Amino acid sequence: MSLSRRNFVIATSVAAGGSMVLSACSSGGGGGGGTSGGGVSAGKYSSVSIGTKEDSTGPAPEIPGAKKGGTIRPISPQDFSHLDPQRIYYSWNSEVGNLYIRCLTGYRIDGGAMKLVGDLATDTGTMSDGGKTWTYTLKDGLKWEDGSELTVEDVRHGIERGFASFTTEGATYLQAALTGTNDFRSVYKGPYDGKHLDSVVTDTAKKTITFHLKTARPDLNWTLAMQSYGAVSAKHDTKEKYDKDPFSCGPYRLSAHSVDKSLTMVRNTHWDPATDPIRNAYPDSFTFEFGPEALQTSDRLIADSGTDQYAVMAYSGVPAERIQKVLTTPALKSRTVDGLLTGLYYYAINCKRIPDLKVRQALNYAWPLQQIRTIYGGPSSGDYATTILGPDMAGRVKFDIYGKLAKPQGDTAKAKALLKEAGKLGQKIVYTYPQGSNDAFEKTKVVIANALKEAGFDPVVKPVEATSYYDQVQQIDNSFDVMWFGWSPDWPTGFTMIQPLFDGRVIANGANNVSQLKVSWVDAAIDKAAALTDATQANAAWAALDRQLMEKEAPIIPEMYQRRFYLYGSKVGGAEYDPLNSSFVLYKLYAKS
Amino acid sequence: MFRFILRRTFSALMILLVISAITFVLFYVAPRDPARSACGKLCTPETLALVRRNLGIDDPLPLQYWHWLAGVFVGRDYAGLGHCSAPCLGYSFTNHEPVLGLITNRFPTTLSLTLGSAVVFVVLGVGTGMLAAVKQGRALDKIASSISLVGSSLQIYIVGVVAMYYLSDQWGILPRPQDSVGFSQDPVAWFKGLLLPWFVLAIIFTANYTRMTRSQLVESLAEDYVRTARAKGLSRRTVFFRFAWRGAMGPIVTILGLDIGYLLGGAIITEETFGLHGIGALSIKAVRDNDLPLLLGVVLVAAAAIVVANIVVDAVYALIDPRIRLA
Amino acid sequence: MTLVSEASGPSTADPFLSVRDLRVHFATDDGVVRAVDGLSFDVGRGRTLGIVGESGSGKSVTNLAILGLHDRTRTTLAGEIVLDGQELLTARERELERLRGSKMAMIFQDALASLSPYHTVGRQIAETYAKHTGASRRESRARAVEMLRRVGIPQPTARADDYPHQFSGGMRQRVMIAMALACDPQLLIADEPTTALDVTVQAQILDLLGDLQQEFGTSIVFITHDLGVISRMADDILVMYAGRAVERGTRREVLRTPQHPYTWGLLGSMPTLNAPVDVPLSPIPGTPPSLLDPPAGCRFEPRCAFREQVPAGRCASRRPHLPRTAGHGAACHLTAAQRVEYHADYVGANPG
Repeated sequence: MSLSRRNFVIATSVAAGGSMVLSACSSGGGGGGGTSGGGVSAGKYSSVSIGTKEDSTGPAPEIPGAKKGGTIRPISPQDFSHLDPQRIYYSWNSEVGNLYIRCLTGYRIDGGAMKLVGDLATDTGTMSDGGKTWTYTLKDGLKWEDGSELTVEDVRHGIERGFASFTTEGATYLQAALTGTNDFRSVYKGPYDGKHLDSVVTDTAKKTITFHLKTARPDLNWTLAMQSYGAVSAKHDTKEKYDKDPFSCGPYRLSAHSVDKSLTMVRNTHWDPATDPIRNAYPDSFTFEFGPEALQTSDRLIADSGTDQYAVMAYSGVPAERIQKVLTTPALKSRTVDGLLTGLYYYAINCKRIPDLKVRQALNYAWPLQQIRTIYGGPSSGDYATTILGPDMAGRVKFDIYGKLAKPQGDTAKAKALLKEAGKLGQKIVYTYPQGSNDAFEKTKVVIANALKEAGFDPVVKPVEATSYYDQVQQIDNSFDVMWFGWSPDWPTGFTMIQPLFDGRVIANGANNVSQLKVSWVDAAIDKAAALTDATQANAAWAALDRQLMEKEAPIIPEMYQRRFYLYGSKVGGAEYDPLNSSFVLYKLYAKS
Repeated sequence: MFRFILRRTFSALMILLVISAITFVLFYVAPRDPARSACGKLCTPETLALVRRNLGIDDPLPLQYWHWLAGVFVGRDYAGLGHCSAPCLGYSFTNHEPVLGLITNRFPTTLSLTLGSAVVFVVLGVGTGMLAAVKQGRALDKIASSISLVGSSLQIYIVGVVAMYYLSDQWGILPRPQDSVGFSQDPVAWFKGLLLPWFVLAIIFTANYTRMTRSQLVESLAEDYVRTARAKGLSRRTVFFRFAWRGAMGPIVTILGLDIGYLLGGAIITEETFGLHGIGALSIKAVRDNDLPLLLGVVLVAAAAIVVANIVVDAVYALIDPRIRLA
Repeated sequence: MTLVSEASGPSTADPFLSVRDLRVHFATDDGVVRAVDGLSFDVGRGRTLGIVGESGSGKSVTNLAILGLHDRTRTTLAGEIVLDGQELLTARERELERLRGSKMAMIFQDALASLSPYHTVGRQIAETYAKHTGASRRESRARAVEMLRRVGIPQPTARADDYPHQFSGGMRQRVMIAMALACDPQLLIADEPTTALDVTVQAQILDLLGDLQQEFGTSIVFITHDLGVISRMADDILVMYAGRAVERGTRREVLRTPQHPYTWGLLGSMPTLNAPVDVPLSPIPGTPPSLLDPPAGCRFEPRCAFREQVPAGRCASRRPHLPRTAGHGAACHLTAAQRVEYHADYVGANPG
């Protein structure tokens, strides 16, 4: 999606200051197994694979040296926007969701590698009928926090809640696939009037659940890992109020929540580690503190005193002001984890206003990535992007059509030659960015304008006030040629990255195909790749489409895969970066004594 | 007195009404769509319409305002959210909670912060001002005046951060500011957690009160009736407190009342600096999140605090000075 | 030397209040202001001394100094003030507090400003009484009501609970008097007590003061710039100019045969009821000197019409003193003969 509207300020400051994490929805992540082949900083990218039934069997492997007990204290500028699984989309919410929400599938994270495994289900599911039918079987011993049994009816109830009128914030992939329409609420209104979806079938033993989709979704196993499809017990469903007091089936349950101040999760004694291949759950409790900005939190973690020794930076990374200090002080550096955000930051080229491919290619050549990254804080702020699919996407193949890695400062001579060839020297380019969200934009606009001038363009900078930025650039009839933008995938396959951004059939006011690319061969290629039931073949198809898009259409100028550094206190153990949610893996942390 | 309160309460309500209407209109002048934030990633027009209905923003503007206003008096039903009982200030777009609840949740922090720092700055400011006035022209007076000048030119976000770094992080004298423990839960923790913010917030006000107290006292010490009191044989102390201070109190109480009213509307910078969660932080959140009901709520709280402070100040002034009549 | 003439009675030998060579200097940013500079006078028991002079001549400063109410941080005092045998200048503050309001009391000019607006008049009177007598609250209150009745305030019991702003100007001044007399002071200093009042009320207040003096045998120092009031109230008169006494004598002496050119001027500028209304008053030309840097000789010299009559410019260089002997006298370099002659001329030229 576009970087969050709600957390707009955070989203945009990510790009520029490197201080906070992408708050956009991001439920996916991970990279294309061994095939992703590194990238600029090889070895730092995670690998993604689909696990076996054994991988899906609990308990999670012990972390050497870890001990039970104590309290971990994550600190964040903001409270969670939602706790109701069906209303969770942002990774910030997913981070805590992992402590009390369980879905049919989930990601097992181990040393940067992510494996899709069965969480509530015994495995990642059985697909048939070309991706139109999926069947899952639940594990034994699954319980809610009151000790009652978790059944497939609870799984179904969670999914049916996604149709209710109050769950507008959550994911919609499954609902659309089950009903065959994006306007799925006109077909089914949710479970509250006693009706169930015909397309979701449960067995009498309450162990097996089968989805009959209207459209083939060979990647549904990934989709089902989104917390929007987490289980909810009908008996404990308080509808709108569930957002404030969710019922747990994970290792922790909500114990106290003071809105925007603090939230405490304590151990759920009915959770059985033997059912859970993902979560370790060493601390007795987690106490979240909300309010302090990233800079304050960094200073506290640098000072490392008192209970802050058990603190971690939750979802706001070390800001530019402190990054050098942290990276050059070994004692501090040793208390960090880092990783790339799942999202891609880029500049969308309005293909409706700039129909000439050569001009779009010239823009790609001319763009001064190096100068931009220097403004963001240099190499520690992230890696140059040259592809649409990020390094953590399944099957991603690295390429660099416009020579950005060799000449990150931009090749204005080549750009000028292309412009001349197209007869478009002096082409006017209206560039826009969200004004007021971050000072860095005020600096990058200068280096961008300079590079464009040098390449023979006539750049016009026309910023839009940050709070209405997305509303304006997502208008079909806008007056911008190049627009700063960002997108993160919902799971680590090409579909969630390419379809929403480049499918010509979804162009609309408020939609995310901001490039307004409307090319029939692209639409056809998207449909074809989406229908492939073999995961390897599908991954290869998306990777090929990635390259073809940049080569033959150049609808965007990729900018960066941003890197995030998080500090943790000296008494925190088991720190690991979650490539899925771009945060700590909370359930693997433990408190040292 | 009764008529005074009746009349002033009525005009206060009118003021709040006007402020709410202005806020309402201004909010919709800005080109943003509050519905988008509650519409999922792949937002469809149908979902957007549903969100609008849920938030109650699919009606024409005057009707929306009418609904809001009616909600304040008789409560209101929200399509997807349930009933919000009177006085209903609306449902926060982004917090999915009644605005009133959010405000009452935040108010203890603001109240603690305000009253605590008021105690500090009144004691320090008025105390120093009294000393300076008594020792007029002497070294003590000059020192106090210089310190107050320096104090008034300091910024909370600098003093606060520096004080926090040394006092809490480096030397460990005070715990880090926090407001998660309320007075009723653990008075000691509450006190310790707010000590630093009280003092830092007080720095700025203290200087003001020192200067004001000094000048008011210098003025009233020169009043004829003070001389008369001395001529009657009353001691300096009696004259100072019973006569001079009584005369100086009026303006000080006035400013104090307005300052407290202002602070009850939220100490934005202080709350941001110390990571506290009062009305100030809530206002920032409301603006950031484009959250109209919440914004209306905090604006009204701030306005009401000022308006009520004015009424209280006028009433107290009349108690202090019998020449003032309330009508 | 004593102000009171030998003819005036037995009190001469033992004045109740005796001021000797009083100097009151204020430090200001511009320099030292010599507000009072070598002033001496006596007040006998039961007598009234009227002090006249323009504003700024040092009248009020002198009286504040007697009560010890000057601003101690920037005022220097020298000389001596003896009240009933007790030296006041060197007295401790605590001792002064004991005397103020009981043995010596003061009535100020502007009763509205001088009464506390924050307390009822009853309370203001009662607190004086309680302070000096240790009387209970109830007794003090009774005393306050009694005093209000005595100064002629109708319904004193009810009015004791009123605030000063609820009284008329004349009634307010009566309250001031009641407050000053609450402890039967032996010395009453009245600083222009009637200036702010209209003529009728003024007469009432003056009568009241006279009656009370009769009743209590109080010594009164009456400060005013109004010779009419003086002529009505005072037994003795002291004329002040620029911080010094220029003439003294009994009322009769000073008003009938004034010796100092300044007194002539004052008398000349006094409106009288029998003068034609169309004849303008003739104030003394010029303004009083700055007390930061007063003239070295006679302080009236720059304004004096007769300075040429004194040889060798002595008026400008040497300070004239009041005669050391008691009785009527003026601080002037003119000879006795000149004074008589010029006074006659002056009166002729300035009918008043």
